[in-house]
Amino acid sequence: MANNHLTSESKQLATWYFTFAAIIFGAQLLFGLVAAIQYVMPAFLFELVDFSIARIIHINALVVWMVFAMFGSVYWLLPDETGIETVGIKIGKLLFWVFAAAIVVVVLVYLLVQVGPADETTIWFITEGREYIEAPRWADFGIVVVALGFVGNLFLTGMKGKQTGIVTVLMADMIAFAGLYLAGMFFTDNISVDQYWWWWVIHLWVEATWEVFVGAIAAYGLITMIGAHRKTVEMWLWIEVSMLFGSGILGLGHHYFWIGTPEYWWEIGALFSALEPLPLVAMFIHVLYDWGKTQGSQDAKGEQLSVINNKPAFTWFVLNAFGNFLGAGIWGFFHTLPQVNLYTHGTQFTSAHGHLAFFGAYATILIGMFYLGVQGSNGIKVMKNTKLSIWATSMITGGVVGMTVALTIAGYVQVLVSRAQMGATWAAYFDGQSGLWFVQAMDWRLIMGVVTFLGFVLLATDLLRTGKSAVHER
Amino acid sequence: MIETIIRPEIALDDFLPIFVSSAFVLVFGSLYVGVYTAVKVNMLKKWMMVFAYFFWILTCYMLYIMGSLMHVDAFTAKALVVAMVGYLMLPHAVYYMQHRVHEENEHCDV
Repeated sequence: MANNHLTSESKQLATWYFTFAAIIFGAQLLFGLVAAIQYVMPAFLFELVDFSIARIIHINALVVWMVFAMFGSVYWLLPDETGIETVGIKIGKLLFWVFAAAIVVVVLVYLLVQVGPADETTIWFITEGREYIEAPRWADFGIVVVALGFVGNLFLTGMKGKQTGIVTVLMADMIAFAGLYLAGMFFTDNISVDQYWWWWVIHLWVEATWEVFVGAIAAYGLITMIGAHRKTVEMWLWIEVSMLFGSGILGLGHHYFWIGTPEYWWEIGALFSALEPLPLVAMFIHVLYDWGKTQGSQDAKGEQLSVINNKPAFTWFVLNAFGNFLGAGIWGFFHTLPQVNLYTHGTQFTSAHGHLAFFGAYATILIGMFYLGVQGSNGIKVMKNTKLSIWATSMITGGVVGMTVALTIAGYVQVLVSRAQMGATWAAYFDGQSGLWFVQAMDWRLIMGVVTFLGFVLLATDLLRTGKSAVHER
Repeated sequence: MIETIIRPEIALDDFLPIFVSSAFVLVFGSLYVGVYTAVKVNMLKKWMMVFAYFFWILTCYMLYIMGSLMHVDAFTAKALVVAMVGYLMLPHAVYYMQHRVHEENEHCDV
């Protein structure tokens, strides 16, 4: 990303984070593709990159690229929101290199070493074995140091500069985000206890702190891209924060249905999970409300001008509003109550929800931030869509939606055959897996995965090229 | 006394209606607040507010179908009723605050 138009060191650092995030995003999709091929052709890369390894890299790279893009987003907006340069930016730059180097080493170990002896050395140097956060313990400590440095920069800047609602929300949110990681760092012999704490990281990240982060970034985007009224935007933000934390924290209960925790989690999980879609509806309406209101004020002046100053970024922000509602809302609500979750738990239904929710709720808005970075780095006043950006957006979105539909069909087969008809036995699992609908769904998932990956290649090309395009107003 | 568990608790033919009705809970739910918002920002005429409440009723009906087919227990059923009453009031509370913020900042451009 060229950054010759950036005068703020914080924004320059943000572009580093965005660039590294985009690279890891590519790795996530590539290894997802390997895993998808292995569902169709099980011998593919056998004993070279087994499914277990491809899956580790696919889901850990997902978390890592999003965390990098989130840190970058905060470094990007801090100067705009606080009116000052980020405090401790030199440490911030040093920590970026530490973080990036640690991630490269961890990925190389996953690929080249893969497994270790079943003792402490594996936990310390190869993998801790907890889904999504499989980094070995030495990297855990490194991540804690980097996160503390990041939160320190955010707090020092927030306290020294102007304290807007967006920065205040981010300060509270990011300290919870960093602190929750600690719950996934210790090991217990009891798998129920281990999973109990592990869900604190996974659930309270994605259904509480990450969603609040998205709310804050959407608020910033609406102000910078369409000139929405700050007071209105921030009022919505506070409503979203209270609703997200109000439902999301105890919504944790829907992960405690079947892991050996007490039965009262059924009631807690059912009640708060039922409430969880509410803030997603609010966030969806918020974007449409502010867009309609701001564009309406512009139209009332008699000028037929769009209020949007970054079309590709705004497209991704609108996709975020839809995708969050669809992926996290509808696909989550499908199977969030214990009565039906008994049958859907651990099937491809979960995978369908995961794909659309991570894409809709997080990937979209973070790609939007990449485009804000490109706009700022190249001194563009009004950024327009190019053919490449339209194709990239359509292919990635179409590909992920296609994968989700395919996985939902596969999950439905598993629910009926493997769970309801055959009672979740060993034979039931294989009967479900070998059914025609399941096999065809896996074929379609692979095809749609290829479409998504090709869309990503176009996206990366567009991000690299569009800054120099003549279609934009400078 | 040994409790007899009959599996599957949900009839095979009921899974699809459960998934479809749960999707419609959110679709109609978003249409309720969507139409409500559109009327409030003058994108739709005031009399169309009746459609917003109609969508809320549809949301409740879909939730009822979903809950019945799932055989939710008494506590969950009560929780779902409370959730729907809360959902009915939610946009009213939000737009009351919206109105107050707008009044306080009518001439503020920041």
